[in-house]
Amino acid sequence: MSENKTPFTRRDFIKGAALGLGLGAIGAMGLYSYSPMSRKHIAQVQRKQGDFGVCRGVKCRVISETSWFDNSQLMGDIKAAGGLLVDQYTYNWPPFGDGTGLGKGSYEKGVAKIKHLLPNKLEEAWEIAKGLSVHPDNAGGFAALVEVEDMDGKVHKYLLDSGWSYKWMDEAFKREGIDKMLANGEIEALFISHEHFDHYWGLPVTLKYAPNIKMYIPDTFYPAGLQYIADAGHKGELVKVKKGLCPIIPGMATYVFDVPIICKVFGEQSMYFNVADLGLVSVTGCCHQGIILFADTAYKELRYEKDKFHGLYGGLHISPFDDWDPKYDDLVIGLKKWELEKVGCNHCTGLVTAKKFVDAGYPMVKGTARFRSKDPNYLGNGDSIEFRKA
Amino acid sequence: MTAANVPFLEARRLEKRWKGPIPALVNLAFTLAIFYATWWIFQDPRGYMRLYTPYVGYNYTRWILIVLIWVAYIFDFWPFKRGWMEKAHPVLKGVVLTLLSTGILLLLIKGFFEGLLGNFAMAYFSPSHLTKLPGVTAFFAEEYAATACLMFAAIASWLSPSWIVAMEAAPWQDMKQPARGLSIWVMTFFLSTLVYFMTMHSHMGILYYPWQYFTAITPPYWEQFADTVSGNFHIAWIMCCTVVVWLVETIWERYPFSAIKNPWIRRLSLFFAIIAISLALNFFLYYAQELAWGEAIRGSRRDAAPDWRWLHVGETAIFFLVPALFLYIYCDNWPKQFSTPVNMLVRTVITVAGGLAIYALYYRYAHLFLGTQKGFSHPQQFPMIPMIWLINIWLINTWFMDNWPGWKLSMKTDAEIAAEHAAREAEHTWSPRMVPGLAVGAAAGVALYFLVVWAIPVVSNSVNLIPK
Repeated sequence: MSENKTPFTRRDFIKGAALGLGLGAIGAMGLYSYSPMSRKHIAQVQRKQGDFGVCRGVKCRVISETSWFDNSQLMGDIKAAGGLLVDQYTYNWPPFGDGTGLGKGSYEKGVAKIKHLLPNKLEEAWEIAKGLSVHPDNAGGFAALVEVEDMDGKVHKYLLDSGWSYKWMDEAFKREGIDKMLANGEIEALFISHEHFDHYWGLPVTLKYAPNIKMYIPDTFYPAGLQYIADAGHKGELVKVKKGLCPIIPGMATYVFDVPIICKVFGEQSMYFNVADLGLVSVTGCCHQGIILFADTAYKELRYEKDKFHGLYGGLHISPFDDWDPKYDDLVIGLKKWELEKVGCNHCTGLVTAKKFVDAGYPMVKGTARFRSKDPNYLGNGDSIEFRKA
Repeated sequence: MTAANVPFLEARRLEKRWKGPIPALVNLAFTLAIFYATWWIFQDPRGYMRLYTPYVGYNYTRWILIVLIWVAYIFDFWPFKRGWMEKAHPVLKGVVLTLLSTGILLLLIKGFFEGLLGNFAMAYFSPSHLTKLPGVTAFFAEEYAATACLMFAAIASWLSPSWIVAMEAAPWQDMKQPARGLSIWVMTFFLSTLVYFMTMHSHMGILYYPWQYFTAITPPYWEQFADTVSGNFHIAWIMCCTVVVWLVETIWERYPFSAIKNPWIRRLSLFFAIIAISLALNFFLYYAQELAWGEAIRGSRRDAAPDWRWLHVGETAIFFLVPALFLYIYCDNWPKQFSTPVNMLVRTVITVAGGLAIYALYYRYAHLFLGTQKGFSHPQQFPMIPMIWLINIWLINTWFMDNWPGWKLSMKTDAEIAAEHAAREAEHTWSPRMVPGLAVGAAAGVALYFLVVWAIPVVSNSVNLIPK
C-alpha cells in the first residue's frame, strides 16, 4: 500500500467515494438480499376471494389419456427433428404429414392434403395422412368428458380436448359414447386446453359429430392453429379466452395462463370447480403452468368451499416423457402442504411421478390400466373420478 | 518486463483502422453476422444442425468458452510460435485456432467425458449407458449426459480464468509454456472436479429413481437454504463467479486489489473477493425476482419455482457480461481519462444499463429471430446459450483475430510494456486520504441499493416485456 503525504484533495474524496459506492452497494446486496429482513419489501398476497359460484359435483371420465403409445419412438422423432423447441407443425406427424420427413413439414403443406375431407371423411383423411407422416400409428390423444352437476341437480357436459389421431379418437369416442352425446347436442362446449398435437389435432373428430359446438380456446394460439379451426370445419361460436379467469357456469371457471411450452406452443387453459362442502377441484389438460402455480392462483384469486384445495384430475406435465429433473422432486415434496384429498393423474404426469406420488402417500385414485393405458397408478382410458360430497 | 515474457495478449497493440466509433460498429456488424450465420447452422431449432435441444447445444457453447480461455489465457497460444501469432493474417489465425479449439472441444466432450468418465467412472456422463435405464429415451440420455458435462463447464469457466486473473498464474507464473499452462490446467481442472462433486453430483444422483442415497448426498445439503433440491442453486452463484471474474479483469482492472503490494495477499484476497462479490450478486438477483414476481413457491414450475429463479440468476448475470466485454474489447475500455475508481464506476454504470437493455431486448424480441419461444421461463430455453455464443465469437475475434477487421496488430516494445506497468502501478494505489470519500460512497451505495429495492416492484408492475 502506498502512503502519500500530500494534502487531502477533492480527487482523493471522489476516488474514495467511487470505490465506496460499489462497496456499499455490493455489501448491501450480499448482506441484506437473502436475509429475513428483506422479506418485508416483498409484496404480500392480497387474496381477492373472487366468487365464481358453487356446484354440487364434478365427474371426469377419461376418454383417452394415451397421447402416444411408444415414448422412445416419439422422443426419437423429436430428437431427429431437432429437439423440443422445434415447431410442432414441422414434425411431419399426422395429420399434417407431407412426405418430406421429420422437421421439414408445415401446417399449410400438410393440411392441403386432407382439408377437403374434413370433418366428415376422417377415415379417408387419416389414411392419406398416414401415408405421408412419420410414425402415424404412435398417435393417440388426450380427451376427457367433464360432467358438472349444478346446485339444481342439472348435469352439464363438456369436452376437454379432442385428442390427436383421428382413428384412435373416433374409436375412443365410440367406446365411451361421446359420439352420440355430441350428435345429440348433450355436450355444451369443447374446451381446448392448449395447442399441442395430442390435445388439439384431433379436433375434426369432435366436429364430425358436432360442427356447431361452442369452442373455448386460449387466445394465444398461433396462426396455423387458428386456421385449423376453420379448416377442420368448425361452424359454431369460438371463444378466445384471454389470460385470467373465465367463468362458465356457477362453480365452474377456466383460467388461461401465459406460458411458453415445448414444441412451439404458448398458453394453457385449465379448469377450476368449486364443489359444495368439499372445496376446490382442478381439472387440467397438461397443466404446463404447474399444478402448484395453478393451485396458488386459485388461492390468490378465488373463494371456494372450506378454503380447501380438495382434488385434482388430469395431466400434470411433470415428466411426460418419463424424463426426470430434481425440480420435479420439489413438486412431489411441495405438493404436500396443500393436503389434497383426491388425486387422479395420467397422461403427461409421468409414470415415475405417479410412483413417487404413491410413495409419498398422496391420496391417488388408481385406474384399471385398460384400453392401452399402461399402469394402474394412472387413471386410465375408460376410468372416471368423481368429486362430490357423499 | 519485456514483450517476450508477458503473455501475447498483453504484448499486443491493437490500432484502429479508422477513427471514431467506425471500427467498433464494423466489428459489431461483422461479429453479429457471424453470430447469426453460426446460430442458424449449429443452434437454431429451425436451422441446419439444431443443437439447441437445449442441453447438447448448451454443452458445446459452454465448453468452447473454456477451451478459448485455455488456449489464450492459460497456454498463451502454445504450441504456436510468437512470430506466427504476430505475422499470420488474422483470418488465418482465427480459422486455425478456432478449428484447434473445436478439435479440443470434441475430444473433451466425446473422448474425456462421454468416453472415459462415462465408461469408467460415472454412467451419467454416457448417453449409451443412460439408455440402459428402463424408460430413459435416447433423447433424454443425451440431455442428461450433456447436463452433467456442462455443469462441469460452468465451474471451469469460473476457475480457469480465476487462476490467471486473481492468482496471477502463481506459483507457476515464471515457468515456460507448456509447463506453465499444464500446471494451471491441472490445478484448475482438479479444483473444478472438487467443486463439481460438492455442488452438482447430488443433482445428478436425484435424476434416478429412487434417489441414489448411497452414491450421492440426497437430499442435498443446500435443500433448506435454497428451497430446492436442484443444483440450479449452485449454477446461480457459479455463473455469477464466471461473470464477476471477467468484470474484474476488464472494466474493473483488478482494482482495488491490484493496489495490494504483497503478492499472495493480493492473489488470495482477489480470488475470494470474486466469490464474495458473486454471492452478493447472486442473492441480489434472486431477491430482485422476488421483488418483481413475488416469493417463489417450492414445487411450482416456471418463473414461480425456486430452481428456475436460481437458474435465472445466472442467466441474468450473463446479460451484464455482454456489454462489459463489448466496452472492453471494442471501446478500448472507455473511459480512461478519470482516476481508476471513477473509470470503474462509469463503466459499471454503462454495463448495468447495457445489461438491462439487452435483457429487455432479449425477452421482447429474441424469439422473432432465434427460433425460440417468447416468455420468461420456457423450460427448454436458456438465454445463456445465445449470450455465451455471442461472447465466444467476440473472444475469437479479439483473442484469435486481433479485432480484425476494425483493428490491426502491432507489438509493443519492451519500453512501452515497462511504461504501461509503471503507469498502472502509479495509478492503482490506495491512500488513507480516500477513507472519507469511501465512507460517504459506501453510505450512498447502501442508499442506492434500497432505492433499487423500492424501484424494482414499481418498474415490474408498469413494464411488460413479453409481447402479446
